[in-house]
Amino acid sequence: MMFARTEKFQPDEKKILREFRTRFLLLKTFFALFFAAVAVRLLNIQVLEAPKYQALARKQYEQRFILPATRGNVYDRNGNVLISNTIFVSFAADPKFVKGHAGEIATRFAQVFGKPRSQYLEKLTAENKRFAWLERRVKPETAKLIRQDKLEGVVVINEPKRIYHYDDLAGPLFGFTDIDNKGISGLELELDEEVRGTNGSIVMQRDGLGRSRPSADYPRVEPVNGRDVTLTLDLTYQAILEEELKRGIKANGADGGLAVMMNPATGEILAVSIFPSLNPNDAYRHNPGEVRNRLVTDLFEPGSVFKIVTAAAAYEYRLTSPETRYNAEGGTWKINLGGKTFRLIKDTHEHDIITFQEAVEVSSNIVMAKVVKSIGPERFYRQARDFGFGIPTGVELPGELRGRLKKPNEWSGTTLQTMSYGYEVAVTPLQIVQAYAAVANKGILMKPYIVSQIRSSDGTVTSEQRPQKIRSVISEETCALLSHAFEGTVERGTAKDVRLQNVRIAGKTGTSRKYVDGKYSTKSYTASFVGYFPVEDPQIVCLVMMDNPRNRGYYGGSTSGPVFRAVAERILNTSSRFSRPTIAQTGKLEEQPEEISVPDVRTLRRNLAKKILETRGLKSQFFGKGDVVVRQSPEPGRKIEQGEIVTLALKNDFTPAAGSSTVIPDVRGMSVRRAMNQLMLDDFDVRVEGSGVVVQQSPAPGQRVKAGATVVLECSPKTVNSASLY
Amino acid sequence: MTDIQRNHIDLPLLTAVLILMVLSLGVVYSASATWAYEKFGDSDRMLNSHALKILIGIAALFMGMMVKYTAYKKLTKFSLIAAILILAVTLVLGGEVKGATRWLRVGGFGFQPSEFAKFALLFHLCALIAAKGDLIKDFKRGFVPMMIWICSVSLLVMLQPNLSSGAMIILLSCVMLFVSRARILHLLGTLLTVLPLAGLFLMSAPYRVERIRSFITGSSGGNYNYQLWQGIIGFGNGGILGVGPGESKQRDFFLPESYGDFVFSIIGEEYGLLGTAFFLALFLLIMLRGFKIAKYARDDFSRLLAIAITSTITMYALVNAGVTLGILPTTGLPMPFVSYGGSSLVFSSFAVGVLLNISAYTDLHPRAPRMRETVIGPETDEIAVRKVY
Repeated sequence: MMFARTEKFQPDEKKILREFRTRFLLLKTFFALFFAAVAVRLLNIQVLEAPKYQALARKQYEQRFILPATRGNVYDRNGNVLISNTIFVSFAADPKFVKGHAGEIATRFAQVFGKPRSQYLEKLTAENKRFAWLERRVKPETAKLIRQDKLEGVVVINEPKRIYHYDDLAGPLFGFTDIDNKGISGLELELDEEVRGTNGSIVMQRDGLGRSRPSADYPRVEPVNGRDVTLTLDLTYQAILEEELKRGIKANGADGGLAVMMNPATGEILAVSIFPSLNPNDAYRHNPGEVRNRLVTDLFEPGSVFKIVTAAAAYEYRLTSPETRYNAEGGTWKINLGGKTFRLIKDTHEHDIITFQEAVEVSSNIVMAKVVKSIGPERFYRQARDFGFGIPTGVELPGELRGRLKKPNEWSGTTLQTMSYGYEVAVTPLQIVQAYAAVANKGILMKPYIVSQIRSSDGTVTSEQRPQKIRSVISEETCALLSHAFEGTVERGTAKDVRLQNVRIAGKTGTSRKYVDGKYSTKSYTASFVGYFPVEDPQIVCLVMMDNPRNRGYYGGSTSGPVFRAVAERILNTSSRFSRPTIAQTGKLEEQPEEISVPDVRTLRRNLAKKILETRGLKSQFFGKGDVVVRQSPEPGRKIEQGEIVTLALKNDFTPAAGSSTVIPDVRGMSVRRAMNQLMLDDFDVRVEGSGVVVQQSPAPGQRVKAGATVVLECSPKTVNSASLY
Repeated sequence: MTDIQRNHIDLPLLTAVLILMVLSLGVVYSASATWAYEKFGDSDRMLNSHALKILIGIAALFMGMMVKYTAYKKLTKFSLIAAILILAVTLVLGGEVKGATRWLRVGGFGFQPSEFAKFALLFHLCALIAAKGDLIKDFKRGFVPMMIWICSVSLLVMLQPNLSSGAMIILLSCVMLFVSRARILHLLGTLLTVLPLAGLFLMSAPYRVERIRSFITGSSGGNYNYQLWQGIIGFGNGGILGVGPGESKQRDFFLPESYGDFVFSIIGEEYGLLGTAFFLALFLLIMLRGFKIAKYARDDFSRLLAIAITSTITMYALVNAGVTLGILPTTGLPMPFVSYGGSSLVFSSFAVGVLLNISAYTDLHPRAPRMRETVIGPETDEIAVRKVY
């Protein structure tokens, strides 16, 4: 019947039916294909590509904010804070969510920070970015201006920043961190894993309008602050060493210098000074690559200081004695190398027949070259190796080199002779100190170290380093002979400038050439002196090297030697820990020069402090109640006239009993460093915001709080107060 | 044809539609709660409105089911003229929503006349074709008169401007003409004349150009592409199992109008592939039942009507899914029975009611013991035709 009612088209039922069925089938097919297309697309998006879209979705509705961990503090061996942190405020924004009011935000930031508005606008409108720093490490008072506006979409992040309490003191040793507070050089790099801590995070769930709330799916992860590190460094020694080295470099017109001080009995590094120095507080001025701990990264051809190996081996194998006589050939010795080739060895001082002891004292290359023949390559090589040359010391400093000590099979015909007085070998300064320390330590080689203890932020000790004996290098008899020779060097030989009246010093001079790119520099000389004292019970071994000294020649004895002497003198005068027994033993304290350096009597009992000051010809005045000295003025090391008064602050106990209450001192107007040191000495925890001078403190001064309470210091950069000028 | 006994309606079809309606309550609630709270301070506001529309829709469905389909035969011309008038009035008086006058408010209710006009046109086309029979193959007497109706309705809708609904009206009309054996030549010829005009029309509005451009290039930028992109992220975020009921993140203002044309994405996000597949399966079921009803329909009018209604529902569902999935350019077409929005829901429900009514006059579900052998025999042509369809 269908469609068959016209005259024009004759009804042909079968044809009509077929045509309708075909068309209907085509329609069904179309829909079937459509369904299939949708299904395939769904499979594709929801199964195959689901992870991609899930990540995209998460990126949209979740934002993770890092809660930065605070890096651990670094202390010296006496608990003085060397490195800690201050908190700065940083501002960031999510460009995606500030679209509407990017202009408003940019205007406000431009007003507050005085930078072009376009700069902020550019960051705020960055395409496809979800995070942009607007300002970092803003001073708290400036930050307040932005904070009070409560600009929507602007994220406020408290960022800790490293603060180095003594600026360039041991700067190259400490290294510094980058803007993200990650250690990138020096100890900061080496200890990064320990002091870095683990950043916490908070996940915010946000909606399409940019509003966020803490996500219920992810708990807030609190940051775990980094571990605190106690170094073997002694702040006082460090200060002395740096000061004296600096003075020595200036006096000699040298390019730079390096000095290191170690406790020979333990291998603890007490002080490291490297010049030119750097101030990690201004680290942005420095390229991390140019900051090297030259102590372990620079190689030298050691010169005469290497004669320790020759002399040690000669004594150890009983091939010579201090009285054995040698012909020093009048200062010039020609060695026939077979055929017509000769090798010329020269001494700086001309001698004919001298004893071995004298040969060491005057640093005769010729005698060493003669003696070394009887030692032979194998024994000589082993001796050098045993002293630690050619082997990295393993100290906790980045980039340590092993040096270059050729094996006997690599030697040429004259290598043995050349090496006997310190050429054809490359060593690091620390290796030299390590070797001399072994002589000072009855022949036992100690591993040098600088990190003594690491504690987690809750105070538990996570690792502790104890002195580590590497090997016995030489016998005690050999040590005695060597010490005798080195003491003679100071008394009569090349290091006469080092001699001090009250203390026996042993040491050796040397003129080294820098080893750069596999070659010895011909232009650059390094004058060095390495020694230890007191000889009868060595407490300190110290190496001083100076690059290209010009004013007084390049001999170690006359350039680096005086630096060593000055350091030794000041240490003997100041260090309570070290000098007390020595002073008691020598008993020669009456013969002090008029200028006296103030000894460190902090932490000592009242009577003992008084006694020590009295023996130096100083008067003491006490204030405060108690039995223990907590502060002193003038500071230790300061030179004052005989008979002057040293003021000492007393306290009942150095560490106040828990629960006792203390009055908070007024530290306003002090520099951050001074304020922190004072408060920490009083056993307060200190949190610093900003840097410069303390402008606010909380709790307020004079308030009584429990011992160990946290004091918050608000600081701002130093400004000259015009009123104070008139 | 004598008076035919009324049999049972097609229950699977009714069930599928009712399931869609009930599920839409949950989906629309989840997709709209944050928006409703943001706009009206009441997260239930849109759910309540949607529930009311579903009730009206169910009422419309039962109305369509009750009235015998033959009643429309005489009514189609009148209602189509009425629809055209209403469209014209809307153009002049209609309320503007997002730059288009698509709404007409009658009493307290606003409705989209285009939805009414769409069904009025399709119903009238069915009546015309059934009456004219093979005349459809005649250009002047069959094809052109029908094209005039089609063009006037679709043009008025497009002028609102509502390009996508107009295009759907043309598409569905052409589907009907195609199934009714109109000459392919006529259809193609019309297409070739209409296409350049459509192109010009398309270019006349920058937002359309932008939609097409972003669809073709797949580039980012542009709000329409943003919505599409968020929709796709929603599907992907759901994965196979979905993030769970009420857990959609995209509806938190990432996906604009998540409760409307892009509600399918929220289904995909909350219920995963399982959810989208289930909804697709329901529409597939509706299509299969609808075409089965067409096959068993007793006369040309009801057969064509069944095809028209089924095609409309299926086409809207597929185009909506295709748009949200990015395989078609972004258009504002709802997913029948699921998307938030009254007019589409009410008229689609009514149309399904009519389809169910048609099903009751087939032998799909006979009231009495099946008498198929006696009723459908090889004796007459009439029966033979019906059997084949």
